[in-house]
Amino acid sequence: MSTMNTQKLESLASFVVSEAKRLGATDCDVAISESESVSCGVRLAEVEELTGAQDRSLRFRALVGKNAAVTSTTDFRRGSLTKMVRATIAMAKASEPDEFVGMPEAHQFAKTFPALNLYDEAITKVDVNTKIGLAMKAEAAARGADPRITNSEGGSFSDSRGSVVLANSRGFIGSYSATSCSIGAGIVASEDGSAMQTGSWSNSSRTLAGLESPESIGVEAARRAIRHLGARKVKSQEVPVVFDPLMAARLLGQFVGAMDASHVYRGSSFLAGKVGEVVAVPELVIIDDGMIPGALGSHPFDGEGLPTTRRVLLKDGKLQCYLIDSYSGRKLGMEPNSGSTSNLFIEAGKHTQEEIIASVKDGLYLTSVSGPGFNAVSGDYSMGASGIWIENGQLAYPVDEITVAGNVMEMFQNIEMIGSDLVFRSRTCSPTLKIGKMMVAGS
Amino acid sequence: MKLSSIETQLSNLFGVTASQLDRVISGAVKDRLNVGAFCDVYLQGGTEQNLTWDQGLLKRTSCSVVKGAGVRVVIGDKTGYSYTDHLNFTNLRKAAKVARAIADHTSDVPAQEIVGASGAPHNLYPINATPIDVELSDKIALLRAIDAAARAYDPRIKNVTVSLGVEDYNIVIATSLDQVILDNRPLVRISVSCLAEDDKGRKEQGSSGGGGRYEFGFFTDLDRWRKHALDAAKEAVDMLAAVPAPAGEMTVILGPGWPGVLIHEAVGHGLEGDFNRKGTSAFSKLMGQQVASPLVTVVDEGILPGRRGSLNVDDEGTPTQSTVLIENGILKGYMQDRMNAGLMGVASTGNCRRESYKHAPMPRMTNTYMAGGQQTQEEIIRSVKRGIFATTFGGGQVDITNGNFTFSALGAFLIEDGKLTTPVKGATLIGNGPKALHKVSMVGNDMALDEGIGTCGKGGQGVPVGVGMPTVRIDEVTVGGTGR
Repeated sequence: MSTMNTQKLESLASFVVSEAKRLGATDCDVAISESESVSCGVRLAEVEELTGAQDRSLRFRALVGKNAAVTSTTDFRRGSLTKMVRATIAMAKASEPDEFVGMPEAHQFAKTFPALNLYDEAITKVDVNTKIGLAMKAEAAARGADPRITNSEGGSFSDSRGSVVLANSRGFIGSYSATSCSIGAGIVASEDGSAMQTGSWSNSSRTLAGLESPESIGVEAARRAIRHLGARKVKSQEVPVVFDPLMAARLLGQFVGAMDASHVYRGSSFLAGKVGEVVAVPELVIIDDGMIPGALGSHPFDGEGLPTTRRVLLKDGKLQCYLIDSYSGRKLGMEPNSGSTSNLFIEAGKHTQEEIIASVKDGLYLTSVSGPGFNAVSGDYSMGASGIWIENGQLAYPVDEITVAGNVMEMFQNIEMIGSDLVFRSRTCSPTLKIGKMMVAGS
Repeated sequence: MKLSSIETQLSNLFGVTASQLDRVISGAVKDRLNVGAFCDVYLQGGTEQNLTWDQGLLKRTSCSVVKGAGVRVVIGDKTGYSYTDHLNFTNLRKAAKVARAIADHTSDVPAQEIVGASGAPHNLYPINATPIDVELSDKIALLRAIDAAARAYDPRIKNVTVSLGVEDYNIVIATSLDQVILDNRPLVRISVSCLAEDDKGRKEQGSSGGGGRYEFGFFTDLDRWRKHALDAAKEAVDMLAAVPAPAGEMTVILGPGWPGVLIHEAVGHGLEGDFNRKGTSAFSKLMGQQVASPLVTVVDEGILPGRRGSLNVDDEGTPTQSTVLIENGILKGYMQDRMNAGLMGVASTGNCRRESYKHAPMPRMTNTYMAGGQQTQEEIIRSVKRGIFATTFGGGQVDITNGNFTFSALGAFLIEDGKLTTPVKGATLIGNGPKALHKVSMVGNDMALDEGIGTCGKGGQGVPVGVGMPTVRIDEVTVGGTGR
C-alpha cells in the first residue's frame, strides 16, 4: 500500500489544489486518507464478529480572500471532485469573512519528513485465522485465570494500515503510511452475594512484534475484574488519591486539553494567561514528542503541514507554551507550534508504585473514573470513581459508587509523588501520580 | 411503497438496482439459509452541514457528502460485516464476500426461524423542504441573532459559541427476506454555549440547545432559538454566584426534561437486549422483579413525531414502537434488535440502530423517558429540608455489568427548608441502577422530553436519542462536590 498508493493520492491532491486555483480559490488545502482494517471479536471461544473495512475520505478547505469553507467527501472521481471544489468555493463566498483565517506561512511548513518507522509490513501479511487465534488466546487466558471468572465480553484483535496525504496552495505536499494493531479482552467476574464486575485490558502497537502477548492481556483483564469483586462504598472524606498510570494519563489529557490555544483566545481555559507561571509542582515535567520512532502518536507533520517536534509543555512547575495552530497563532500574535499533541507524557519520577502506596495511611488508589465531570473553564473536576482503598500503606479492599473531586490546578500543585513506572502504551501516558488531598464522596 | 418507486430511488440515489442488491444478498447467504442465515444491505446517502459561530463571527462552514453501504451477514449469534464508501455493484459484492467470511467460522448452528419486519413504516417526520437547502445567509442570520440575544441578556456574557448542524439522509435497507425498505431522515440541531465573566475575573459557562427531525423553520417557529440563547446566558450568569457543591449522600430533586439522562444511564443501557442475552447486565436476571419504586414507569418510544430519537423504521427495517421497560417498578421488557430477540425467543422491538453504514447495528435506545406522576414541582421541592435541585446535565456513563452510573449536573441549587437558595457548581452524581430507582420517593406531574440534543455512545457508535422525565425526588444520591 505504501509507496504506490501515496503517489496516487498525492497526484489526486495536486489535482484538487490546481482545480481550486483555476476555479477562483485564493488559497486551499486538501487532506486525503485511505485505510484498510480488519477486526475480529470472539466470545466464549467462538468467533462472534468479523468486520472488514476499506475507508477513504477527502477533506478540502477553500479560502476566497478571508472567507473559508470545508467539504468532506468519499467520492474520488475527478469529475465529482471538480464539482465539489466549485461548490465549496461557492459556499466560502456565501460565508462571512474572518480576518485571521488562512494558511501557515511558507517558512513554517515541515521541510523534511523523518522516517519514523510507522509502517510494519508484517501486519499486512497476517491471515484472518491467525488474527482470530490471537483474540481467542487473549480470551482463553482471561477465562482460565481464576474460577471466579464466570462470563466474558470477549477477546478481540484488530489491525489497520493507511496513508495520509496533505497538500496545499502554498506548495506543501507530504504523505506517510502507517500501520497499527491491537489486542484486547473484556471479562466478567462474579462471586455470591456481590455485583458482577468487568475487567478489560488491551494493547496497541505499530508493529506486530511490538504487541504484548495475548496471554498477558487476558491475565491482566481477569486481574482487573477480580480485584473489584465485593466493592463497597466508603464514607465521604478528604484523603490522598493515588492515580494509577491509566487514570493519571486521563488526567494529563484533560489538563493539556486546556492548553489548546483556541480556549486561550476565547478565555475559556483555566490556563489562559498562565504561560511562565507556576501551575504545578516543580518535579512535574510534561513532554509532547512526535518524533519517537514507531510510537503510536508519532507523525512527520500535523494536519496543517506544520512540523512535528519535541516540545516541553511544562517544567519547573511552569507552563511553557500553549498548543497553537496557525489560526490561533495569528489571533494571539504567537508563532504556531502545532495545535495537536502526538506522544504526550509525564516524565517518569523516582518512586516505585509500591513506595507510593506505602506512603498512604488512609486513601484511594484510583483505577477507574466515569462521566464527563471536568470543566476546562474553571478546572473543576468531579468524576465517578472506583478503585482500591489503601489502609496503612497496603491495598486493602475494593471500593466503588464514589466520586473524587477537586480543582485540576490545585491537584497539579499538590502532586506529592511521581512514579517511575512510565510505559508508552498509548498516545497519552503517565506514571503513577499521588495527589496529596482530594474530596472523596460516598455515603 | 410501490416497487417502481423503489427502483427509481435506488438508481437515482445510489446507482444500483433492486435486482443487483438481490444478487449481492443471495451471493452472501444463499447456501446458509437452511441454518437461518440472514443478510442485509444498508445504503445511506445524504449531506450534513455544520456552521460554528464564535467570538461574534462565523468561525467555520463545513459540509460532508456521504454515500456508502454496509453488508451484514448474521448466523445465530455471529455477525460478519463489511462496507464500502465507493458504492457500485462490484464493491457491494466484495463487501458481501468479506461479511460472508463469518459463515466459514460457523459450524452446526441450530436452524433458526428468522422473522421479517412486520407492519408498515411510520411517517413521523415528513418535511416539505430539506434543511440542507436553506440559504447559508439565513442560517448565518440565525447564529447572529442568537449571539446578540445572549449578549443582551447580561453584560457579563463575554462570548457566545453556537453550532448549527443540519443533515438529511436517505436510507435503503434490503434484506434476505425479500424486503426493501426506504426512509428519509432529516435532523436539525442547535447548541448554544455562553461564557460569563465577572469583574473579579471568575468565569463560568452555560449551555442550551434543541432540535429534532424537522425543517429548518423549527428554530424560528415560536422563537425557539431565543429560548436557547437566554437559557444558556442565564445559566452562565447564575453560575458566577455558585458555591462548591456538597459532597456525600443527600436528597436530590431532578427537574423535568434533560435530567432524564438519569433514566438513560441508570436503567436504559442495562435493558438493551445484547447485554441481557449475554448475561452481562446488572439487570440480566431481574425480569418480572421489582427493580424500582412503584412510582417508576419507564418507556422507550421510537414513534414520537419529529423527535430526535424517533425513527420510522429501525436500522434493519423494523417499524419502531412504544416499549414499556419498567411498569410501576416491575421490570417488563428489554429493547431488542432482530438477532438478540431471535436468540432470546422474543420479537424485535424496533430498537436496532447504527451510527452509519460503516457500523454493524446493535440494540439501542430511541426516546427513553420516565412517565409522569401526581405531584407538582412546588410540592416536591417543599418536601425537602436539605438537598440539591438539579436541572441541567452534561451527560453520563454507566458500567452495564455492575450497574453503577454517573451523570454530571452542570447547574444546580441548594434546597434549604423547602426553598431553593444558593446556586451550586456542577458535580457528578453517582448511583447504582438496580438500587437507585428504589429510592424515588416523589414523581411530578410535569413530564417533559428534552429539547433534542442528546447523542448516545455505545461500542464507539453515536446515535441521536431523546430522554425525558418529570420532576423526581430521589432520596440518598451521592453527590460528588468538594464542599461540606
